[in-house]
Amino acid sequence: MQERMNGIGFSPAGYSPVIPSSSCFPKKLRVQPQRALSSDPYVLELAETLEDSFPSSPSTPLPLQNLRLSSSQSLLSTPWPSRRDEPFRFTDLSFIRQSRILPVSPTISLLTPTSHLPNDVYVGSLSSSSPSLLQRVSHFICPFPIGDLFFSINGIAAPDLTLVYVPEGCHVDIPIHLDYMLPPTPSTDDSDAAMHLSNPRVLVVVEKGAHVNIIEDFPASPENQNDSYWSNAAFEAVIGQGAKLTHSYIQTQSFRAAHIKWTSIRQEASSTYELTEVSTGGKLGRHNLHIQQLGPDTVTELSTLHLSVADQTQDLHSTLVLDHPRGYSRQLHKCIVTHSQGQAVFDGNIKVNRYAQQTDAGQLTRTLLLEPRATVNVKPNLQIVADDVKCSHGAAISDLEESQLLYFQARGIDIETARRVLVFAFGSEVIDKFPYSSIRDRVRSQIKNLLDPSSN
Amino acid sequence: MALSLPTHPSPTVNPLRRSPKPTLRRVNHRVCVASAATPLLQVNDLRAKIVESNVDILHGVNLTINQGEVHAIMGKNGSGKSTFAKVLVGHPDYEVTGGSVVFKGENLLEMEPEERSLAGLFMSFQSPVEIPGVSIDLFLAMAYNARMKKLGRDEVGPIEFLPYLMEKLQLVNMKPDFLNRNVNQGFSGGERKRNEILQLAVLGADLAILDEIDSGLDVDALRDVANAVNRILTPEKSLLMITHYRRILDLLNPTHVHVMDKGKIARTGDISVVEAIESDGYEAVSALT
Repeated sequence: MQERMNGIGFSPAGYSPVIPSSSCFPKKLRVQPQRALSSDPYVLELAETLEDSFPSSPSTPLPLQNLRLSSSQSLLSTPWPSRRDEPFRFTDLSFIRQSRILPVSPTISLLTPTSHLPNDVYVGSLSSSSPSLLQRVSHFICPFPIGDLFFSINGIAAPDLTLVYVPEGCHVDIPIHLDYMLPPTPSTDDSDAAMHLSNPRVLVVVEKGAHVNIIEDFPASPENQNDSYWSNAAFEAVIGQGAKLTHSYIQTQSFRAAHIKWTSIRQEASSTYELTEVSTGGKLGRHNLHIQQLGPDTVTELSTLHLSVADQTQDLHSTLVLDHPRGYSRQLHKCIVTHSQGQAVFDGNIKVNRYAQQTDAGQLTRTLLLEPRATVNVKPNLQIVADDVKCSHGAAISDLEESQLLYFQARGIDIETARRVLVFAFGSEVIDKFPYSSIRDRVRSQIKNLLDPSSN
Repeated sequence: MALSLPTHPSPTVNPLRRSPKPTLRRVNHRVCVASAATPLLQVNDLRAKIVESNVDILHGVNLTINQGEVHAIMGKNGSGKSTFAKVLVGHPDYEVTGGSVVFKGENLLEMEPEERSLAGLFMSFQSPVEIPGVSIDLFLAMAYNARMKKLGRDEVGPIEFLPYLMEKLQLVNMKPDFLNRNVNQGFSGGERKRNEILQLAVLGADLAILDEIDSGLDVDALRDVANAVNRILTPEKSLLMITHYRRILDLLNPTHVHVMDKGKIARTGDISVVEAIESDGYEAVSALT
C-alpha cells in the first residue's frame, strides 16, 4: 500500500494491446534517467511503462516514430505538474499519481456507417492509410510546442492514430461520430488502486473548401460507470483555406475517472471552427484547447458548458492565438457547480498579436455556484498587441437570482421547480448550439438527470 | 371558492365584455357585490420593513376589498404603494412587522408566494425580470399546470394548451411568435406590460393587483391593456391597481380610490378623489384626513 501511495509500481500492458507486447522489434527508445538530472523519476517510469506496452514496429508510420521520439525526449525534462505550476494551480492530479497505472490500447469506434461517407473521405488508422495519403498528412504530425506533459504522454503511447481526412471541396453531410468507449476494467484483486490509462489520438485534416462535422463522445458505459480510469486523449485538426470544421465534444465519463484532453486546432485563411462542448464526467475533467490562426479572416466560435455535481473538478484551459488580420472569435464558457466539494476552473487566453489588425474577439464566462463552498477559479485574459481591434470579455459568478425565483413563485410555481428550470436554462444556451437535435436531446436529458437524479 | 380557470380553450367571453365602452362593465354589478358576506381581502394595520436596510415602509395600512370591486391606490413616489403590493404577494425583500392580511378567509401572510398565487392572488410586476433560456409558452404551461395540479385536475399537454394560449394572446394583441421568446428578455416596455397581462389572462385571478401597468405605455398600448383587463376579469373578480395617472382610471373605472401617504392609506373616496388630487396635489388631499 505504501508503495502505491508513493506512486511506484507500474504494470505494463494489462489489457489486450493491439500491438503485442512480446514484440520482437528491438527498435525501442530507452529513457535513461541518469541522462537528465532534473528529470522526475515518476515520469520516467511512466514513460518506460508506456514504451514497453506499446513498442514501435516497422509498420509504425515514420512521422509517428518521430513523434514518439520527441515525446520521449521532452518527458526527460518535464516533471509531473504540481500545484505550484501555474497551469495546474487549481487542478489536483495527486489521485492519478497515487494510482497504479495500467496502460491499455485506446479504442475509438466510428459510429457513422462508412458506407454513408463519400468515397474519398478517409476515417481509419494512420498505419492502414494509403502511402499517398500518409505522405499528404505526414507533415501535420509534428511535436506541438505548446503541449504539456500529458500531450507528450499521449505522443509516447500512440503507436498509431485515428485519421480523419476530408479532401478538397468535399462537403460531408452526415456527422463523423467518434466513440471513445473504454474497455471494462478486468477484475483484479486490487483494482481499487489500479487505473487504466488510454491515450487515444486523432488527427483531422480538412482540405481547402471542405466541410465536416465531427462528434467526439467520451461516454461512461453501463459496465464502467464507477470505474477509475485515466483517459488522456489528443485531438489535432488542420482546417484548410475556406474549410469548416464543426466539432461537438461530449464528456460524461465515470465520476472516478481522470479525463485529460488536448484539442489543438490550426486554422488557415477564411476557415471556420465551431466547437460545442459539454463536460459533466470525471473526478477531474481537464480540457486544454489551443487554437492557432494561420491566415486572415478566420471564424472561431467556442461554446462550453461544464457541470460539477459531485466531488469533481472541471477545468478548461483555452488559448486562441491570432496572428493575422480580420479574425472573428466568440467564446462562451459556462459552469454550474452544485456540490460543496465541486470545482470549476477556467483559464481563457486570447492573444491578439501585432499583425492581427481588425480582429473582433469576444469572450464571456458565467458560473453558477449553487452550494456553499462550491468553488470556481476563473482567469479570463486578453493580450492585445495590435492597435485596431475590437475585443470584449466578461466574467460573472452568482447564485440563482432571487428576483427570477420570485417571478416563478408569483405565478404559482414552487421554488424547487423554479430552481431546476433556471439552472437548466442557464446551461441550455450552450446545449442549443449542438448542430444535431439527437445530440441536443440526449445531452439535455443527461444534464436533467444529473441536476435532478430523482426525476427518473 | 376555487379559481375560475377555464379548463378548455373556449372563447366564452361575456357579451358585456365586448362592449365598445369598457367603462360600463362594473356599473351593473355594484349592488350585488355589496351583499357579499365576507371581504375578499382584509388588510388590518399592516406594517412592514425592508429586510436589508431595516427601514420601515408600511406604517399600518388598512384596506378592505370585496368581491367584484375595483380599487385604485394613488400616491406620490415613495409613499409605499408598490411595497404594499409586493408585501401582499410575499416578496422576500420585505418583512411584515405587524398587522394581518386575510384573503378569502385565510391568513395570507403565512403562505409562500406560490401558495398566494394558487389561492387566486395575482400581481403584475412593475419591472418584470428577464428569464433567459425559458420561453413564454414553456413558462405559462408550467404555471398553468401548477394550477391544474392544485385543483386536482390532469395536467395539460402542449397540444391542448396551445389553442388556449393563442386565444389569450389575441386578447393582448400579440403575434404568435411572441410565445417562443424568452420571458421578458429584450422586451420593450410595452411588451413587458402585455406579457404581464397575458399571464393574468392565462392564469386568471380572484384579485389582480396591477402595479403601474400603465407606466411607459403609449395611448394605443394602454387601451389594449385596459381592454384586455376588462375582458379577463369577469364581474365577480376584483382589481387593485396602483397608478400615478388618471388615464387608466378612466378606462377601468374604479369603485374606490385610495391615496397612500407615508406608508398609510391617507384618504379613501370615489373617483372624485382623483379630481381633488389633480387640482390640489397629493399633499393637500392627504392632509384632509
